[in-house]
Amino acid sequence: MKISKCFKHAFNMVLHSKLRSWLTITGIVIGVAAVIAIVSIGDGMQQSLNSQLNALGGDIVTISPGFERGGGGGFTRGAGGGGGGGSSGPQATTKEIVLARSDLQVLKGIPDIALIDTNIRGSVDIYYLGKKGKVSVTGVDQSIWSQITLSKIKTGRMLDPADQNVIVVGGRLAASYFAQPLGINKMVTINGSAFRVVGILDDQTNNVYMPIQMAFQVIPDKTNDIYDTFIVKIKDENQLDETIIKIDDRLMTARHVTTKNKDFSISSRKEMQQTRADTMNSMNTFLLAIAGVSLIVGSIGIANTMFTSVLEKTKEIGIMKAIGARNKDILQIFLFNAAFIGLVGGILGIILGTILSGFLPALMSGLPIARGGLAIVTFNSIAMALSVSVSVGILAGIIPAYQASKLRPVDALRFE
Amino acid sequence: MTDSIMKMQDVWKIYKMGAVEVPALRGVTVEIKTGDFVAIIGASGSGKSTMMNLIGCLDIPSHGSIFLKSQDISKLSESDLSSLRGKTIGFIFQQYNLIQSMTAFENVMLPLEFLEYNDRKAAARAREILKLVGLEDKMHHRPTQLSGGQQQRVSIARSLVSDPEIILADEPTGALDSVTGKEVLNMLQKLWKEHGKTIILVTHDLNLAKLAQTTIELKDGEIMRISQNHEVN
Repeated sequence: MKISKCFKHAFNMVLHSKLRSWLTITGIVIGVAAVIAIVSIGDGMQQSLNSQLNALGGDIVTISPGFERGGGGGFTRGAGGGGGGGSSGPQATTKEIVLARSDLQVLKGIPDIALIDTNIRGSVDIYYLGKKGKVSVTGVDQSIWSQITLSKIKTGRMLDPADQNVIVVGGRLAASYFAQPLGINKMVTINGSAFRVVGILDDQTNNVYMPIQMAFQVIPDKTNDIYDTFIVKIKDENQLDETIIKIDDRLMTARHVTTKNKDFSISSRKEMQQTRADTMNSMNTFLLAIAGVSLIVGSIGIANTMFTSVLEKTKEIGIMKAIGARNKDILQIFLFNAAFIGLVGGILGIILGTILSGFLPALMSGLPIARGGLAIVTFNSIAMALSVSVSVGILAGIIPAYQASKLRPVDALRFE
Repeated sequence: MTDSIMKMQDVWKIYKMGAVEVPALRGVTVEIKTGDFVAIIGASGSGKSTMMNLIGCLDIPSHGSIFLKSQDISKLSESDLSSLRGKTIGFIFQQYNLIQSMTAFENVMLPLEFLEYNDRKAAARAREILKLVGLEDKMHHRPTQLSGGQQQRVSIARSLVSDPEIILADEPTGALDSVTGKEVLNMLQKLWKEHGKTIILVTHDLNLAKLAQTTIELKDGEIMRISQNHEVN
């Protein structure tokens, strides 16, 4: 029998047992919809993560004094300690853990490093048109900052090497922090020094960036050549891990510490994002496993329907064999029937899954892992869902179809 | 008479029921000539149905050989047997055995679909045969919308559509009233006389057997008598 005829007979079988077929199809719809929704959300999160990774710069490494990603307590700042100039040791006295010029020199000696931006940070009072505010100021190496920062300028310009009493401000500070907008060339006063705004960033922060030498003067409790962080851009992103190890080794040697009493930390955004991606992958795998279980349940439904169908159609199989149907013809008709159920279930599942994946990110927005993620239904996930559902249909239908094809016509004709 | 179309040589069919073996046919040897009208008669349990299943290649013997057009059916694969059956034998069953979800036309088309006929030719052939049995106006009716006689005519049309050499009819009038039964028998006679088909009629009705040229009488799985009726020509 021609394939097209087998398909026609299979289609008629579905049409003539509508309720049972639809109930079976529903099982597949649920399984496929779950897979589509989960895969699309996973894809969306992955894409969001990738764009964040790119935006954050996979080649940027932050070095901070203290422990474990420079976070939180556990270290003290030397207020005036450590002395000035190059002679100061990083931990000259018992409690001071800082980054100093000597550390900067160590980093400059590592050939894998392209750029080093030295930062200090602090909270300061700012005055504009008689109004006072409190903002975070970051002192940056103005010759490096524009090449290393991921912030984008909205209006004006970045800091130049020759700049002194100028600042670049965050978007929110410029637009809405004060009663009057803080525009380009406007003057503000920070700790008694006047600064001119030369650039406004395309972000929603109240941050202020200024040349580091000016920051040493205006941020309280800062000492020349003692830094809060080094932002390092490495030459080859693919050598990130190796470079981090190199930096780690050199700094430990220079600071006379071992892994046990290490007093600084190195972190890369890529590493942090990778951790997040790993967690997300684990969660996706778990959810996919659940969806897989529902697909398995759906396939058992198909197998059950097919067995019932074979039993119900035993006499017809006998008639068909008597009038010339070969085993192959019967096998194909029943396999097509199962595949058809899988296909229809797959198509409806994709539609339902696509609708669901539109709503789920909103429902999951409370989860940190899903933040910023949008569900993306890709051609691949559709192709995968369709092939899985049809395969599940065929697999579930193989045994019943084989059983049908092997029925002896004499027995089948006798069946009532 | 011409060549034999079917030959059974020392055919045994034994059914196993647990440890017990029940022989339904015991060493049957018979030859059916091409173009003959054969009636296989016998009481219930005589082995008629078993013999019909074997002649129709729906089953294979436990021992012995059956030759259909010189081919030993025991040596054919299931698929080859199906193909041979589809091309050579047309079945007419007592209970019509039509597929209920299909129309008369679709039922008649079915054997041609298994033989992978060209769609257009198959449709034309099915229409032609349905017209021959007088059902051209009922082509698109389902079996449930047809009377018993009409259903049996669809069954006859289905048996004829692939132009088989043998028509195997199992109690074809068993479920019909006498008038409709007579019509069906007339049709069989017409197929035999005008179309040259070999007709094998399985029946318990001795009156029907009188229509046949050759009568094979079975009893307890053995052939009791083979008689020729020269008056029916």
